[in-house]
Amino acid sequence: MAVESINIHPLDKHLRVDRIPTLYCPGCGIGITLGAMLRALDKRINEGLIDPNKIVWVGGIGCSARTVFYVRYDAAHVLHGRAIAFATGVVLANPELLVIVVGGDGDIAGIGGNHFIHAARRNIDIIVVMITNFVYAMTGGQVAPTTPRGVKTTTTPMGNPEPPLNAIKLVLALNANYAARASVTTPHYIENFFYKALGIKGFRFIEVISTCPEIYGRHIGLRDPVEMYNELKKRVKYKPKPSIEDADIDWEKGIIIGEFLERNNPSYLELLRGVYGK
Amino acid sequence: MRKTFASGNIAVAEGAITAGLKFYAGYPITPSSEIMEYLAEKLPKLNGIVVQMEDEIASINAAIGASWAGAKSMTATSGPGFSLMAEAIGLAVITETPVVIVDVMRAGPSTGVPTKTSQSDVLQARWLAHGDYIVPCYAPWSVQEAYDLVIKAFNTAELLRTPVIVLSDAVIAHLWEPLTMYDQGEVEIINRKIPKGTEITLPYKPDPDLIPPMPIFGKGFKTIVESLTHDERGYYAPHESAYRALITRLNLKILKRLDYIFDYETYNCTSECDYMLLSYGSTARVTYIAMLELRRRGYNICMLRLKTLWPIDREKLVNSCKARRIVVVENNIGKIYMDIDRVFKDREVYSAPILSLEPPSLREVLEVISIWL
Amino acid sequence: MISREHGKFRVTVIVDRCKECGLCIAICPVKVLVRSSIENKYGYRPPEPSDIEKCIGCKLCEYNCPDFAIFVEKVV
Repeated sequence: MAVESINIHPLDKHLRVDRIPTLYCPGCGIGITLGAMLRALDKRINEGLIDPNKIVWVGGIGCSARTVFYVRYDAAHVLHGRAIAFATGVVLANPELLVIVVGGDGDIAGIGGNHFIHAARRNIDIIVVMITNFVYAMTGGQVAPTTPRGVKTTTTPMGNPEPPLNAIKLVLALNANYAARASVTTPHYIENFFYKALGIKGFRFIEVISTCPEIYGRHIGLRDPVEMYNELKKRVKYKPKPSIEDADIDWEKGIIIGEFLERNNPSYLELLRGVYGK
Repeated sequence: MRKTFASGNIAVAEGAITAGLKFYAGYPITPSSEIMEYLAEKLPKLNGIVVQMEDEIASINAAIGASWAGAKSMTATSGPGFSLMAEAIGLAVITETPVVIVDVMRAGPSTGVPTKTSQSDVLQARWLAHGDYIVPCYAPWSVQEAYDLVIKAFNTAELLRTPVIVLSDAVIAHLWEPLTMYDQGEVEIINRKIPKGTEITLPYKPDPDLIPPMPIFGKGFKTIVESLTHDERGYYAPHESAYRALITRLNLKILKRLDYIFDYETYNCTSECDYMLLSYGSTARVTYIAMLELRRRGYNICMLRLKTLWPIDREKLVNSCKARRIVVVENNIGKIYMDIDRVFKDREVYSAPILSLEPPSLREVLEVISIWL
Repeated sequence: MISREHGKFRVTVIVDRCKECGLCIAICPVKVLVRSSIENKYGYRPPEPSDIEKCIGCKLCEYNCPDFAIFVEKVV
């Protein structure tokens, strides 16, 4: 442990190194996502744009939400689905804070779907990073709102009969200022998009398509981390200025990543200052 | 000091403002909505924020988040919304977050009778969330007391780092009475302890009063607000020793200050009472009149009114009066009666439940009491 | 810790953080890494930069490691 408690890795200063290794399964994409986010944050801090004492990470429940365990910042590990609601209270009570919500597709778009919709509608000044693994992994592999049709999970043993929810399309229908999608097979895009999101006001949403070899991989026959990573990588295509139609997630046709939305609508805090007259 | 004329809902809002409220999140629900409407006009002028969230779940979670950002926060609701807040009250307990929840009771279950009164949430307030905990609960009987007990609720929340519930009801909410409000310095206002220095390694290490200073966001504490059972570092600790230590401390820190939390009033109590009426909230108003009427008829009867519904100081209650017969009058199926019966083990304790959508009439109350006289 | 370097780059593996997922080995475009025979304290076999001379400093191993267990530095 002695060796673990000193900073070795370039990102260690952002981590609670005494909690590493993480609880994630071997080859899980969440750690890749967190690494990319921390590199972007590191850049912004070095640029002097962000005070590290004013950063708050908020996670609900699930594997992805547990990233807040590992960051050496103010952090809250709260209720399943309620991270965005908690984060809304934080940023409204102290607008100086930079609030980052991390969660899985079940936490953000399933149980937390209503808060997700209304935070995007209000253009609340938070960044939401949703790590999509298409399954409820922490509870052992049940169907998620993002699970593609036909996939056999522990609660859809005959195949998932439901069409999935597309979070990017949902955000595009609302009043957010930024929506992008990256993949764990493209960590540089996660980093770039998160870096950009850190410089924008209002509601910013990044979906990261992730690998979950242990649970989802088992369901779709890609149990090996490297094999699953390579299969996802094959299907992921970057597109500059993708359209709404491009947001479809289709394992056969491929998954488009890129920046689906970027604009400068007044954020909730700005709107509030407007009506409060200060 | 300012004298005014106000409703119970306004008194709740004004009490919160006096206590230092800076963040309110809520969702409209009868009969509590005027609290949010009143604050929406007033609080922004006092550098506070009022936000109407998408539901009660979001409201309480936002209020908890705001508390961690350093603001005194509150939400108000009624039964159906209160039910939705259950899980988050547990979150506030385990994360030791000061937050005030006002439940303006209406008739249930389910949608029930939204515009009519009830006291049926008294046990819900006590055991709303899953898990082992004690959440202090106050029940005002007048507009003035709604104001006073909301201030006390904030003070309790800040002092003990705990959620606190104020149980109003549809009668108190819409009752208009004279109200005396305090200016700064005229009433004690308690603020949470905040740690000294910057980065802390043991955010849940308590002081001798069993309460850890609250490492609010944005001060460099690098705190962890943890919903999981945790150790003093705030790290997940699925071990019996850590679990026992945490749950014991969370409960003990409340019980240690029973002297501060528990409050009641007695009326016409002597050392020789035969009967005692026990009531609380709006029902205590007519119970008080019933007691006076029965005294006029020659009964040696007194009354005790609980201001704190939970936790109860058994010793104080037992020593409050020597009456052999106690009748518990409440507007529900007889819920606080169960506790009173346990507290006064050696006396005759009777339940006088009333299921009244309006403030119970004197005749109704006398009828149910008379059975036991 | 395993650390290897040539004139330009140093690759360091923090042995006890590795979970043997194999992503770094698979992603390396010039095949610097191989699975080592040592076991870390959790029983995983971390990678070893056996062919360090080939390293081009692209950092793909670092960026694709889910466990903050490998990183690449410029040798100065």
